[in-house]
Amino acid sequence: MGQLALQATLFAPFLGAIVLLFVPNRRPLLVRAVAVASAGVALLTSLFVFMAYDPDQGGFQFITKWAWSEELGIGFHIGVDGIGAPLVFASAILLFAGIFISWHIKDRTKEFYIFLLILAAATIGVFMSLDLFFLYFFYEMSVLPMYVLLGVWGSHTKGYLSMTDSEGRKLRDSVGFILNFGANSKEYAAMKLTLFLSAGAVFALMGILLIYHFSPVQTFDILVLREVADFDGTLATIIWLLVFFGFASIAPIWPLHSWSPVGHAAAPAATSMLHAGVLMKLGHFSIIRVAYEILPETTQELMPIAAVLCVFSIIYGGFVAYFAKDTKYVIGYSSSSHMGYVFLGMAALDYISLTGAVIYMFAHALATGMLFAMAGWVYDQTHTRDIPSLGGLVKNMPFLAGAFIIACMASVGMPGTVNFIAEIMIIVGSWEKYPFQVVVAVLGIVLTMAYLFKMMRGLFYGNMSPEYAHARDTSQWVDRLPLLVMIGCSIFFGIFPMHFYNVVRSTVVPMLDRINQVSPLISQNTTGLFP
Amino acid sequence: MTFDLTLSSSDLLLLAPEIFLTIWLCVVLAVDFTFKQIDHENLAYLSVGGIIATLINLIWFDYTEVQGALFKDMFVLDGVAIFFKIFILIATAMVLLASIDYVKSFKFFRGEYYFLVMMSALGMMFMASAQDLLSVFVTLEFSTFGFYVLVAYLREDQKSSEAGLKFFILGVFAAGLLAYGISLVYGETGTLVFSEMASMPGSYGLAIGFIMIFAALGFKIGAVPFHSWIPDTYQGAPTPITAFLSIAPKGAALAILIRMFYVALATFKPTWGLLFVVASILSMTYGNIVAIAQKNIKRLLAYSGIAQIGNVMIGLAAGTKRGSDAMLFYLLTYLFANLGAFAVVIGVSNLIKSDEIEDYNGLNRRSPFLAAAMLLFLLSLAGVPPLAGFIGKLYIFVAAIEQELYTLLIVGLINIVISMYYYLVVVKKMYINEPHDPTPLSVSTPLKTVIFVGIAGTLILGIYPKPFIDWAVAATLMFSNLNAPTASAPAALTSLAGG
Repeated sequence: MGQLALQATLFAPFLGAIVLLFVPNRRPLLVRAVAVASAGVALLTSLFVFMAYDPDQGGFQFITKWAWSEELGIGFHIGVDGIGAPLVFASAILLFAGIFISWHIKDRTKEFYIFLLILAAATIGVFMSLDLFFLYFFYEMSVLPMYVLLGVWGSHTKGYLSMTDSEGRKLRDSVGFILNFGANSKEYAAMKLTLFLSAGAVFALMGILLIYHFSPVQTFDILVLREVADFDGTLATIIWLLVFFGFASIAPIWPLHSWSPVGHAAAPAATSMLHAGVLMKLGHFSIIRVAYEILPETTQELMPIAAVLCVFSIIYGGFVAYFAKDTKYVIGYSSSSHMGYVFLGMAALDYISLTGAVIYMFAHALATGMLFAMAGWVYDQTHTRDIPSLGGLVKNMPFLAGAFIIACMASVGMPGTVNFIAEIMIIVGSWEKYPFQVVVAVLGIVLTMAYLFKMMRGLFYGNMSPEYAHARDTSQWVDRLPLLVMIGCSIFFGIFPMHFYNVVRSTVVPMLDRINQVSPLISQNTTGLFP
Repeated sequence: MTFDLTLSSSDLLLLAPEIFLTIWLCVVLAVDFTFKQIDHENLAYLSVGGIIATLINLIWFDYTEVQGALFKDMFVLDGVAIFFKIFILIATAMVLLASIDYVKSFKFFRGEYYFLVMMSALGMMFMASAQDLLSVFVTLEFSTFGFYVLVAYLREDQKSSEAGLKFFILGVFAAGLLAYGISLVYGETGTLVFSEMASMPGSYGLAIGFIMIFAALGFKIGAVPFHSWIPDTYQGAPTPITAFLSIAPKGAALAILIRMFYVALATFKPTWGLLFVVASILSMTYGNIVAIAQKNIKRLLAYSGIAQIGNVMIGLAAGTKRGSDAMLFYLLTYLFANLGAFAVVIGVSNLIKSDEIEDYNGLNRRSPFLAAAMLLFLLSLAGVPPLAGFIGKLYIFVAAIEQELYTLLIVGLINIVISMYYYLVVVKKMYINEPHDPTPLSVSTPLKTVIFVGIAGTLILGIYPKPFIDWAVAATLMFSNLNAPTASAPAALTSLAGG
């Protein structure tokens, strides 16, 4: 049953995309219905998987294994552990919400939903892959739809990419790409994002191939590799660095983050949601799956790198978000700042902090998803994302303003939302090992509050410019449902976190015991925050 | 050396596909001459029918493991030969189908066109079986002969004549190099058969001779630095012939290369391995970087083809059984993606009479089918999962890392990112830009068939490649002795890995 549910979560969106190929574009309602149906199946099955995961048993559950190629040692091997299950669930929530958020897309609706479903399905695929080959397969597969989604349905930030030189001659694309680093066109953003992530991916692939070659058994199976692989010395360091920086480029860790805010700003709302909500978590997740599982000793040695870089992520992202004037830039930089918290939680290698980091990934997916969804709505209504020119929208959109406040609170980490639990666990868990970083993280929370409230004030309060008087609130159920689903999940798991906590912890504890070669290295409160 | 040319009927069986195709192409020509009023479209279907019959014959040979050698090992039918023959025939059938609309624009010689394409295919089938330097020379010239005519087929088009002339002059030069190389090798070893050369000691004469042969074959596959004819010839030739040229002769020449280096020169592997490493790095890097600047889709695909051949040569550089398996599989993925992309180019150029990338603007609005197909083919060429190209690239990288060719691997991986740029630029034109002229485009049935075959190949090889990988592995069983453990692995690294 669980196996079937897990397979359904992965294949339902793919199937939806295939069915959509045969639906005529002139029937948009049918197109949307197919998309909603496949995302709905994925949402329900992933909820089932998440709830049915047995924390007492732990480990990988709902495993399916099909032979794929004995010649290369590849098997189609899927299953979830306590880290994968909540992330699969988060992806399904965001896909479901994203389909409703993009309900009003008129241009090439069918193609949009096909690419969106492929993107989400590939992301879900990464979270349940137990084979390095398929992990990479889905990882790279999730990057390419972004290019088309951004390029076709995205929006420009400041004018178009100038494709003529000073004398008015037409430039080649390559010249435009290389010389227009300041440009904020969607084409530029899409190309930068794709090339950046592909470059990161090939580094990671190099690491994966080295693991494959130097392990005693020629296989890509993570469950086998984690038992038999034994890397140390220079080789282990090289592999670890390749894997870490390859995957961290999507996370994105400072200084590899520059593609991310540009990409967020250009993307249509649903794509931003999936991008910030789950695509970025592919980085952390893949690092945990590959580096933590296969190279535990090296992780223990080298993870301080992440602890150092996360400080820059938090501070830099926070300050840029504070001074940014574009709603999506604010949320984009806030995401890259918040990803620093996840790295901090991961770097401390402590039961509480790593559990917190995983919960934070889930919590951030919901909070950022809400913010992007609402920024997208405001953009659709006003056709601008420039905060200074907006204001006073609360009169026209009371519901949205209310939801926006909740989303900001969630993003800041107010008690009652799941973000609070995650943040407090990261801070408590990392205190012993990285007190300086924890101080920075707490300051980062203050900064988060500052820029989110600043944005909220800029959008919803103050005087409204008459040209936006026509802006409408979300009034149809299709517009409100996704927001309510995300708010509901955020608050539900904020108030009833026990199952969530137990699920994550059941995986985190044995994993960290391997990395820390069983407890004596770090003294810690093993009973956790919730005894 | 005496030739015993008495053939038994079982010997003739080995030649059955070639004999059948020879008869068939004469039939096609005869039908064309006899029935003046026949629609050339029917000639195309007649030719494709013959090729499919030959294909079935070959698949049956593969299935029942009919193997053997003829004429003192000059002609050999083994796994590799059968693989490449099937490869060439699939390409020929797809090209013939894709040609139908294009040939309508010819004023004369419509029937001869199909005859010449099939004759070149026949030559290349013999190339796949050549196991002796003499037959290498004869079959190579035989197959190129048809191409000389076909490239210059558009008599009134200056570009086509230019392409034909460039191809002819450089082709003849390559033939000269080949003949000279063969004579040097014969002078050093006293034999022309690959398997007899395997035990010969190395010498400068042998090395120079083989480098010349390599240059001549490098000309056929379009590897840097023997690529200079490719862009102009590809641009000027009739587009279906460009498609044919971009895949079939490469396959046939690689069959000879793999046989020559794996069998005749097995003992000198470290030396020629380096040769392929250099050629591969140059081809990948040069092809991908120059492709960025192209404005014509045929030139873009020409340079991308140079880069793809660089990828294929990684398999030869590895020099193992795994390397040859990966190479064969990679060629299959390249066959479908590349021919598919060219089929789209043919479709677009039939309708809008242009090959400029600029004119692909808004193709998604004009023909969602052509745009989606092109997207799939380009992404497969770029190596994006779940498409065939990704599995091909991964397979070939696995072969490289087993031989610890790190430089080659890093260059190959970086080149994936570079190549993604120019493929995505085409995707951008098709999907993001708005069309200059929004009239919808429609595709004819034969061309649609070719595109669907391409899509099916690209997806099946990407999602369920197992049967094809197994086929490639079975086809190269005769190279199993090359599967030696990595000799060049530093002892420290090997011990680190725990064995």
